[in-house]
Order: sequence, then structure tokens, then C-alpha cells
Amino acid sequence: MLSLCFLPARAAVPSARLVCVRAASGQPAAGRTDDPQFRPLDIGRRREVVQQARERRRATLPPPRHERQPVNQQWGDVWPAPRTFHPDAVPLPLRQGFVKRPNAQAPPGKHANAELMKIANFLHLTPPVIERQCRALAKFCTPWPEGLTDERLDELRPLEVITQDFLHASPTLRHPDARVVSLKVPLSCLDLTETDRDKLLRLVGDRHDPKTDVITLTADRCPLRRQNRDYALYLLTVLYFESCKREPWEAELRTVADAEKFVWAGSASEAAVAPLGAAADVVNSYGEAVTRLHNEGEDESTLAEYRKAVVALLGLPEHVGAN
Amino acid sequence: MDVEPDRLIASVLRIAPPEPPCRPIHLTAACSKVSSGRYKVTRSKNKPLTYEQANPPHYLFVRKGFNSFNTSNLKDGVRPSESAMEDMFIRKFISGTWHNMFLSEVIIKRQLNMIRISGIVVRNILPRKMYFLIGYTEEMLTNWLQCPVKLELQTTDSREDVVFKYI
Repeated sequence: MLSLCFLPARAAVPSARLVCVRAASGQPAAGRTDDPQFRPLDIGRRREVVQQARERRRATLPPPRHERQPVNQQWGDVWPAPRTFHPDAVPLPLRQGFVKRPNAQAPPGKHANAELMKIANFLHLTPPVIERQCRALAKFCTPWPEGLTDERLDELRPLEVITQDFLHASPTLRHPDARVVSLKVPLSCLDLTETDRDKLLRLVGDRHDPKTDVITLTADRCPLRRQNRDYALYLLTVLYFESCKREPWEAELRTVADAEKFVWAGSASEAAVAPLGAAADVVNSYGEAVTRLHNEGEDESTLAEYRKAVVALLGLPEHVGAN
Repeated sequence: MDVEPDRLIASVLRIAPPEPPCRPIHLTAACSKVSSGRYKVTRSKNKPLTYEQANPPHYLFVRKGFNSFNTSNLKDGVRPSESAMEDMFIRKFISGTWHNMFLSEVIIKRQLNMIRISGIVVRNILPRKMYFLIGYTEEMLTNWLQCPVKLELQTTDSREDVVFKYI
């Protein structure tokens, strides 16, 4: 009994690991294969088993779609909507990728190519599909009327409604700036007298562009574009009718000193000239000269005209005051 | 006193003493090295790199494409920060749900009100399980991001399919 203790453990009891290695390599363990009581212990996935399973799985897979699909299929039915590129559905032999030495290495193919998946493809908009869509839309289209040129359009439809649409992808469908509506109206198409026009311009302020004589009204106070458009049209209507009205206090507000331009009729200058009793056309030409002097400022031509008119009015010889 | 008053006060109050004013200069060349997105070459040249990993970030829009497509960063675009945070969340969620199965980066495209997620996945689970994962991902993300989420995956057999080079 004592002598047994000194034997090395390895010789006495072979370890399980040794047994397993021998079994995996396929060689029979010494005197163990035929023994039904002691089956070899197999821990872990053996490489051949895994590979055989993979081969079986690969064999049971059907061939990719581009090998099975009929040649006369409708591509528009296969790829109806924008979709990430899929190499098995697209029959084209594509390659994508940069290689430093194209003679030594081909660019990466279409299978398992993330770059091809990243880019936007337009396989849903091939020319036959576009033709089909255009043919479907054509029955709703009529030709543009021949007589409707740009000038005629300006006469018939002077009002211009301007809206903006945005390239926009987000969980909410509405872009906040897409609700803004601008309205452009040329003042010439509105039926206004001088005072009406003056009142309108005062109400509108710097929304009026003096060079083009166009009023621009911008509405963004409502959440929807339709509402803003309706509000802008309402605003235009109110502006027009308000400028045609006359409030009783307006007459008191405007005095001669407030006028932007000098008006001859009813002015102090006219009253001063009346007692002279000159001929009507002389008085008229003097009136025009004074009006021009006030409205256009003092320069050579206005002063010369004024001198001429005064000389004629007072009956002085022509050379008086001439340089 | 032999000690400067500042240092004495600092030691009493137990704060760091004030540094003497100085302006250091480089006495040797400054090593301004960029190391982002670059992988170290191994001795045995057996480290696999995908095409995306093999091209460093300065090749974006030259040899590489972007992983995330949205209209947020156009002029007058809306919600750029929310889109970026959502992208980060989606990538984390996908990497946690599909354990070690994505061979490429997650590609996120926003179109209309939809989010389309794509990528290359390895076929190491049963198809039935993969269908479950796709449905689970789409359903959970749709609920969290409050918009339709579609997964458009490409599957491949082995991990060697995406390897571009070995370093």
C-alpha cells in the first residue's frame, strides 16, 4: 500500500483531456473504442462538425435572385421604392472601392460591400419606370394655352403668391419655415386715387418697393400655409378698403406744412399772385415754375424757368436778372 | 518671513499654491500627431481590416461614404442635434441587440418620416431567430423614435467576406 502512494498520478489515472484529444484526432485511444462502458468524452465543438454544418446550410440555400429571375421581368415591380442596395437582387456586376494597385488587386465586389449600401441608388427610377409614370400622368395634362405669354399673365394675374418648400426628413412632417407665405401685388393694378394711394403707402410703410411699385406682404403668424395665405389675402383686402375710406380726423391732421409736395392750387403763392391781375397762361406758367422749384429743388433749369416766369408776370424787360 | 506670503496662505488654506507666471515655449519640435481612425500594423500582418477601417477619416467623401444621411445639416435644416443623438442611440441599441453580428458599421438614412437602417450581418444564427431580431429592433426603435423604422440588412456567410486587407 505504501509503495502505491509514490507512483506518479499521471501513470495511475490518465486525465480526461488526454482522452478527448485522442478521440478528436480520430485515432482510437489505446484499448478504449470498442469498450461500450467507456465512451470518449467530447467537450466543445469540433471543427469538422462545424464546417460540415456550414456546408450543409450553404447547400440548402437557393441560388441568389439575380440567377433565378426571368429576363423579361418588369424591373419596376422588383424594385418599386427606394431601397438599400442588395447584391443578390441587382443583376449588375458592380465594383466599388479604391485600391492602390488596380493591377494587383481588383476593387471590392458588390457582395458584402458597405460602400455600395451607403450611397443613394436610383434603381427605383430607371427610364422605363419613369416612362410608365409619365404615361400615367399624361392624361391629366393639357397643353399650355398659346396666347398666354408672360405679359398677358401679368395683366390677367398680377398677384404673386410665394411659398418655400424644404428638403426635410424628420418624424414631424411639417417644416417650420414652410408655412411662410409672401404676396406680391403691383399697385398699378389697384384702383386708387392720389389720396388713396398716399394713405395706402403710409399704411404699408417699407413693404412698398418704390422702384418696382410692388407691395410685398409676408404672413407667418399661423401654423399652416393655407391659413397664412388666407390671412395675407385678407390683409390685402383690408388695406385696400381702408385706404379708400376717409376718417373725419384725417382732414384735420393734414396741414399744408405736412404735404410732401407743393401743390399750386389753393396755396399762399397763388393767393399772392391773384391781385396782380396777369393773364391766365402767365399765371399758370408762374405756378408751374414755383411748383417745380419747390418739388425738384434749386438748380440751373428750375431757377432759369422761375426767373422767366417772374419777369413775364411782373412785365419786366427780359434781360433783368439774367446772368 | 523666509516663505512667500502667497505660499504660506495657500498652505494654511490647503489650496494649491499659485504658479509663478511663465510662458513656456517648445524647445523641440511639437509632435501634433493625429491618430484617430488609424490601426496599428501588427508584426504577423494578420489583423483584418474592412474597407471602412482601412481608410482613415480624411478619406471621407473621397474614398469612403458617410454612415448617416439626413437633411438636418442643410441650410435651414431642422433638429440637427436630435438627429445626431438618435443616431448614437440607434448604433448603441443595434450593437447591443445583435451581439457581434454586424460586420459593417450601421448605416442610417432618414427619408421623409422614415428611418432606414442597413448593414451587413453574419449568418451565425437560425433564420427564425434573425427574423425575430429584425422585428424586435424595428418595433422597439419605432416606439422610441416615434417614426417608422425599417431594417434593410444584407447577410453573409463568413466574416472574411468583409475583410479588405490585413495589417
